[in-house]
Amino acid sequence: MILLENASKLYANKVLALDGASFYIDRSEFVFIVGPSGAGKSTLVRLIYREELPTSGRVVVFDKDLSKMRPREVPFFRRRIGVVFQDFKLLEDRTVFENVAFALRVTESTRREIKRRVPAVLELVGLRDKQRSYPRQLSGGEQQRVSLARAIVNNPELVVADEPTGNLDPDTAWEIFQLLREINRRGTTVVVATHAKEIVNRFGKRVIALKDGQVVRDEEKGAYSNED
Amino acid sequence: MRIRTWTYLVGQSFQGIRRHVHMSLASVTTMAVSLLVLGIFVVASLNLSYVAAVIESQIEIRAYLYDDIPAQGILDLEVAISSLEYVTGVEYVDKDTALSKLKEQLGPQADLLEAVEEMNPLRNSFVVKVEAPEFVALVASQVEELQGVAKVDHRQDLMSRLSAVIRAIRVSALFIILLLGVATILIISNTVRLAVLSRQREVYIMKLVGATDAFVRWPFFLEGILLGLAGAAVASFVLDRAYDWFLANVYVMLPFVPVLTKQPMLQVVSLGLFVLGTAIGALGSSIPLKRFLRV
Repeated sequence: MILLENASKLYANKVLALDGASFYIDRSEFVFIVGPSGAGKSTLVRLIYREELPTSGRVVVFDKDLSKMRPREVPFFRRRIGVVFQDFKLLEDRTVFENVAFALRVTESTRREIKRRVPAVLELVGLRDKQRSYPRQLSGGEQQRVSLARAIVNNPELVVADEPTGNLDPDTAWEIFQLLREINRRGTTVVVATHAKEIVNRFGKRVIALKDGQVVRDEEKGAYSNED
Repeated sequence: MRIRTWTYLVGQSFQGIRRHVHMSLASVTTMAVSLLVLGIFVVASLNLSYVAAVIESQIEIRAYLYDDIPAQGILDLEVAISSLEYVTGVEYVDKDTALSKLKEQLGPQADLLEAVEEMNPLRNSFVVKVEAPEFVALVASQVEELQGVAKVDHRQDLMSRLSAVIRAIRVSALFIILLLGVATILIISNTVRLAVLSRQREVYIMKLVGATDAFVRWPFFLEGILLGLAGAAVASFVLDRAYDWFLANVYVMLPFVPVLTKQPMLQVVSLGLFVLGTAIGALGSSIPLKRFLRV
């Protein structure tokens, strides 16, 4: 489903964020991307949903070489991916319902479909009764659930998350990861870049470790770090 | 795009204004003020130009005749003058008419003339109108050479100065209107650009969930048009009221100054403001978006 072949990313400011990374992630996998700050985790995530293109090497998602994708295909490509960020990226001036429905408006879903899908997905993340709240009225954990709900409301094949629990306390973080695991159980591929060492160790899923932009470790049922 | 998407996008453009009331108010106010300034200037220069045209049309040469010319000689002179180049009209004023006109002008002091009334010292004359001020000197010299003409009065220096002033006013008015127009466009598009910049995050999120560029751009475009319409409406309304006030006052304070009637001038000016406002609103809000769309 996701294939990186010797992918490198050199930013305009001469920072080599990714240096010849290669790996393959299969359908329905749950993969952690770990590594110290500045190791290239965020860049890797951005390459997958095509916010950035690799400077050299290939990034192939859904059997499509992203460097060869035409700009007008990109929106349709993104609809197959749910993206979750550390800072939630919710629209402050819209209710929880509208934030989630937003992803469906974009795909021109019918009103009936929106009325059906949004409450269902909010139910899944446990926010059914907060539909009419605004993001600022919610706790950090709740906001991240809204963002998760928005990411999955389109039934994407892939969910990528960049430090989804970076702003949350450990208990709340655990709940978010439980949700990600639940999403994965339903068949969605999940790729999470994270610092949450404890959780990575407890989950026992595949771990791809980055250091200075290179893949230094890739293990099934891995832990955050071998040295610990 | 489907119809339900269009309804959603149109709704979004209204909501965009509601959600960003302050930004929208700032944009509308800026538009209204700059369009109003532009409008006032256009109206002012149209009127100046009108005044100039009226003055120009009143430019005249007065040719005084000797007293001993027979009626036929006067007729001949009239034909001779009107056949001169650049002459647009010739009117004969006999000395009695001239005296009674003078009396009228003097009003209550008309009895000053009683002493001279018996022997009327005024002369028969022709009032000659010419096409434009620059031809006055030429025509005057030709009239002066005609047999029977005693003296020609044409206030040449005043005429040439007046025509220079009128030309200067026209040129500078056009220049200032152009400058103001450019300034208006810059001010408005900058304000709208700021409003769009403040919503960069919103655009980014739209793109992340897979919105096409058209989907992102339409609400901004429609919003720009709505704000432009609002700004132009405010400017036109104020201009309309201001002109009513101006007309009411100018008739009282400067009764001899010619001014343009309100319509159709204001209709044309308002139409111009509406076109300018909506165009700048629409373009100003959708062009700066392009940069953010590259996500």
